[in-house]
Amino acid sequence: MIILKHVSKVYPPDSHALRDVSLEIGAGEFVCIVGPSGAGKTTLARMLIAEERPTRGSIEIGGWNITRVKQREVPYLRRQIGVVFQDFKLLRNKTAFENVAFALEVAGETRKRIRETVPHVLKIVGLDQKAHRFPHQLSGGEQQRVVIARALVHRPKILLADEPTGNLDTLNTNDVIDVLKKINAFGSTVVLVTHNRDTINALNSRVITIADGRVVSDQKHGKYMLPE
Amino acid sequence: MLFITSTARVISFAWKNLVRNAWIGLATVLVLVLALLSVNVLVGVNAVTSSAIKALEDKVDVSVYFKAGTPQGILDLARSYLASLPQTANVEIVSADEVLGQFLERHRDDQKILDAIKEVETNPFGATMVVKANRTDNYPFLIEALKNPQFSFAIESQTYDDHAVAISRVREIAKSVRYFGLILTAVFILFSVLIVYNAIRVAIYTQREEIGIMRLVGASNAFVRLPLILDAVFLALLALAIVGGLMALGVVFLEPRLKSFFDGADPGLMSFFVANAWYLGVVEGVTLVVLVSMSSWAAAGKYLKK
Ligand SMILES: Nc1ncnc2c1ncn2[C@@H]1O[C@H](COP(=O)(O)OP(=O)(O)OP(=O)(O)O)[C@@H](O)[C@H]1O
Ligand SMILES: [Mg+2]
Repeated sequence: MIILKHVSKVYPPDSHALRDVSLEIGAGEFVCIVGPSGAGKTTLARMLIAEERPTRGSIEIGGWNITRVKQREVPYLRRQIGVVFQDFKLLRNKTAFENVAFALEVAGETRKRIRETVPHVLKIVGLDQKAHRFPHQLSGGEQQRVVIARALVHRPKILLADEPTGNLDTLNTNDVIDVLKKINAFGSTVVLVTHNRDTINALNSRVITIADGRVVSDQKHGKYMLPE
Repeated sequence: MLFITSTARVISFAWKNLVRNAWIGLATVLVLVLALLSVNVLVGVNAVTSSAIKALEDKVDVSVYFKAGTPQGILDLARSYLASLPQTANVEIVSADEVLGQFLERHRDDQKILDAIKEVETNPFGATMVVKANRTDNYPFLIEALKNPQFSFAIESQTYDDHAVAISRVREIAKSVRYFGLILTAVFILFSVLIVYNAIRVAIYTQREEIGIMRLVGASNAFVRLPLILDAVFLALLALAIVGGLMALGVVFLEPRLKSFFDGADPGLMSFFVANAWYLGVVEGVTLVVLVSMSSWAAAGKYLKK
């Protein structure tokens, strides 16, 4: 599903964010990416959605080589990958329902499709009862689940989450992780970038550790390995 | 189907944006109005100055006083000769009798003068010829032409020498007023362009979060840009309409006041704007629409491309 071959990323002039990273993630996998701050995790995530282009190497997603994807093709890529980023928030002046619907509206989906899909994805994240609340009327975890619901509207084959639980307490974190597990159980590939030791240990899934731009370990059923 | 849905949605997005960001929109319109007004006021000032200069130039003429008793044939000759010159706009002859009539009229309360005139018995005045050039630059040429020996001997005096300085002053003023008016207008247009571009940039800056989200959920660039451009064009047209109204009010208000300032002569403000309303509206409208479209295209691009 995701294939990286010898990918390097240098931010001009000489910030080496990733160095010769090769990895393969299969369909339906749940992969955690961990590593110290500045290791290059976010850079990796941004390259998967063509927000950044690799300096060297190639990236393939679902058989599509996106290494040099054209600007006007990027929207189609984005509809195949659901994204949950730290700094990728909800619109304050829209309700949960409207925030989710927004992602369908901008893709030109019909109203009928929107009326069907939005309650469906809100139900998946367990927020169908709070659909008409505004973000400030929701907890941090609930807000993040709305973000995940929004990432799901195009039925993406891949869900990419960069520290979705970064600012959440344990309870809310567990809710969000449960939603991700559920989505993975439905068949989507989930790539989760996280710092949270407990999350990783509890998940018992594949863990890829990145440090200083390199893959330093890749375990089938990994535990958190880095010193805190 | 997708196309229709998209078009409808672009319009509905544009509309929602506009309503939700009403304050920013209002501020943008205000800036656009000020920019347009400054240019239009300057255009109006230029129009009034040129008609003021024209009025001044119109007042300039050369009065040629013929000696008393100059035969009609000489007068006709002088008139037709001057009228035949391409530099002449207008020649008029005031006959000796008319000159006398005007003189008596002017002094009808002064018995002494009236008595004196009666005593002379014959008309002591000669005919007067008033010559207007089509352009003030041409007066020196006409003065030269008056030296024609066929009639110059009959000329007693002419007023031009008194006017010469004034005429050249008016000519200089007119020239520099037109020149500086042009430069000032160009500068104002340049500033207005910058102001408009920045106003649009600010308006779009306030929506950067939304733009970022649209991109990440897979909106095409066109879908992000079109509503923004549509909004900008709408605001521009609104500003244009407001400026049109303000200018009309301003002109109606100022015209009579300027008229009294111009001693009842046409200040040329109303006639200028009435004659050029369509032209100005279309030129400014098209310029503004193109300008705001390009501005919002560029400003949105800042948050779009990678
Ligand atoms: N736009 C940029 N320009 C220059 N350097 C950058 C840019 N973005 C990231 N970097 C650098 O690339 C390296 C990797 O950054 P990245 O954000 O991928 O780290 P990270 O693993 O996500 O860290 P964190 O856990 O703190 O989020 C860092 O050294 C960072 O300073
Ligand atoms: Mg990061």
